[in-house]
Amino acid sequence: MNGIQGCPHIAALVGLGDLASGPLRKFQEVVAWEARRARQAKTVGATRKKVSIPFCSTCKVPLPRPFVCLHCWYAGCWRSGHVSEHLQESQHIFCADVTTGSIFCSECKDFVYHARVDELYRAAVVTEEEKQTLFQVAKKPRERFQSWVPTAHDVVVLENAATIPCQRRRGLLNLGQTCFMNVVLQCFIHNPLLRNYFLGDKHNNRQCKIEEDCTCCEMDKLFAEIFSDERTAFGPVTFLVTTWRKSTELAGYQQQDAHEFFISTLNNIHSSSRGSTNISCNCIVHSTFAGQLQSDVVCERCGNETSTVDPMLDISLELRGKPGEVVAGENTLATCLKRYTQPEKLGPKQYSCSKCGKSGQEASKRMSIRKLPPVLSFQFKRFEHKGDKSVSRKIDTRVRFPAILNMAPFTTHVVKNAEKENTNGSMSAYPGPITMYEYDLFAVINHEGQINNGHYTNYARYEDEVRDFSSSSGLSISLFVQWYRFDDDKVTAASLGSVLASPAYMCFYVKRHLDYKPYTTPSYVLKRENEVAREKEIEREKELSSIKELEDALLATV
Amino acid sequence: MPPAAATPAELDALQAQLTQRLLESGEWDRIKFVLAAKLNDSGWTDDMRNRSKERARTIEPLSFNALLEEMLPPAQTSIPLAIRRDVIALIRGYIDQQIE
Repeated sequence: MNGIQGCPHIAALVGLGDLASGPLRKFQEVVAWEARRARQAKTVGATRKKVSIPFCSTCKVPLPRPFVCLHCWYAGCWRSGHVSEHLQESQHIFCADVTTGSIFCSECKDFVYHARVDELYRAAVVTEEEKQTLFQVAKKPRERFQSWVPTAHDVVVLENAATIPCQRRRGLLNLGQTCFMNVVLQCFIHNPLLRNYFLGDKHNNRQCKIEEDCTCCEMDKLFAEIFSDERTAFGPVTFLVTTWRKSTELAGYQQQDAHEFFISTLNNIHSSSRGSTNISCNCIVHSTFAGQLQSDVVCERCGNETSTVDPMLDISLELRGKPGEVVAGENTLATCLKRYTQPEKLGPKQYSCSKCGKSGQEASKRMSIRKLPPVLSFQFKRFEHKGDKSVSRKIDTRVRFPAILNMAPFTTHVVKNAEKENTNGSMSAYPGPITMYEYDLFAVINHEGQINNGHYTNYARYEDEVRDFSSSSGLSISLFVQWYRFDDDKVTAASLGSVLASPAYMCFYVKRHLDYKPYTTPSYVLKRENEVAREKEIEREKELSSIKELEDALLATV
Repeated sequence: MPPAAATPAELDALQAQLTQRLLESGEWDRIKFVLAAKLNDSGWTDDMRNRSKERARTIEPLSFNALLEEMLPPAQTSIPLAIRRDVIALIRGYIDQQIE
């Protein structure tokens, strides 16, 4: 990056706006080519077909990591300097790294960033991916992605809206051993789906019909406070009171378990959401956190397999394996998940086979994830309660967790395939593009100390796009990512390294790409349309009946 | 059978041919995927990202090439031995199949 100015050359190119020809068009073609090539590479191994590959125009070697000139057909190596030489000699400005879509400017002598280029990159990749639909709903192909374009009405609304600077990084006051609540609230605040829902005014606390103890209203109020221009810490008093009233097991002045508060609050948000149901609910909690776990039990004797699917809002992971277990090595999130999804022997007393009829059979059970939720929450079971709650111990073992998580190996489809073909770790076992399974870490809850006198703190990721409106092209300068540490009211900047080294109790990951059912109108839009239609009906009937009253009154005077 | 003593030029040509076969058969992508997954699981990827970010704060003037020069040597030496071994074994396995 060139200081904080950004590259004027790429800005000028974007400003030209013309995609029909020229470097940006070439850029999209190159990106689409790479997406196609990557897809073919996955499947071509089984056949004798070959994927076509580029060679360096200067030294003729095959290019695993091609850099392509955006002004002509030159492709070359980076490390040996061939592509830079080409740019100098032919006075071409831009080349692109095909693998990542990064653009290099030979004037600035550096890789440069522009939000528009990012958009073009994503659009080219998605368009290419849309050509193949592996998970089909009702035989419908994947719906083409359309980015949001404001309507004329939207433009007017946006122009007339007052903008306020919002902090987004506000500390929360400790109201007396309430750090367990503060950390969970911060993780909600930095959850992009929850944030979008409440900032999108989907539950307005002033219009809500619920008289009292509405947790959704408390969430709405919380977001309004955090996204205000107030910098001082906020005390979530009414949230605490509502929690005490809805979840009496959490009431009182002693320290509570953050995970219990988390699950309890999710349930309270669900029950105070309009239109929430007990089965296949699509309230904000279920839309965000709900996944499905599949449990497969195989009878050792006759091979009969029974599968059950259960809903889940989060995954609780054991930190210690049972004695005699195969999964060994460092304590990481991956090993915990491997342990979670490995086959487990059921004792003779736990299973009786419906097919071969003999009770007391040996069987094996295996868990896997059938449906991945948009937000994946993990809890490490650190608090061991033996018998009654009075005897409990904390397991302090550090667990290493990644900033980027690929959940494919733990999905039902891949687990079953691995059993059949022994394709352990092979990417050809993953249907669909890898990004379908990728998650990014956005919040971590830490616990330090003992069970009864410990302290909760959390880290959360803050993301923003910094724009410089002084230039006419609205030059976007950078995508700014910064981790912060929240210790009740104290908020400090932190490095990714410190986040990943922290004593984690819970971790939150968000899916990189969200999946949608194709060609369906969202149920809340349908509901709103129905309500508007019904209100119009009621208005009309009122009008008709008042007109009739007037007519009757007039007739009576005749 | 490869010649007993190959000239550097012959070795270069052999390497280019093997690279081409790896790429055309998709084996390069498969091996790279395994490498990337192992490196991420071991924490190396996050560690490098973190170190690069911190290092970038202090390089003046900052450019990609300047950062790459600083970070490439520690990146290569800090790859865990087990991962290096496993991936070399995968590459060797493929080469053995190709050369009769």
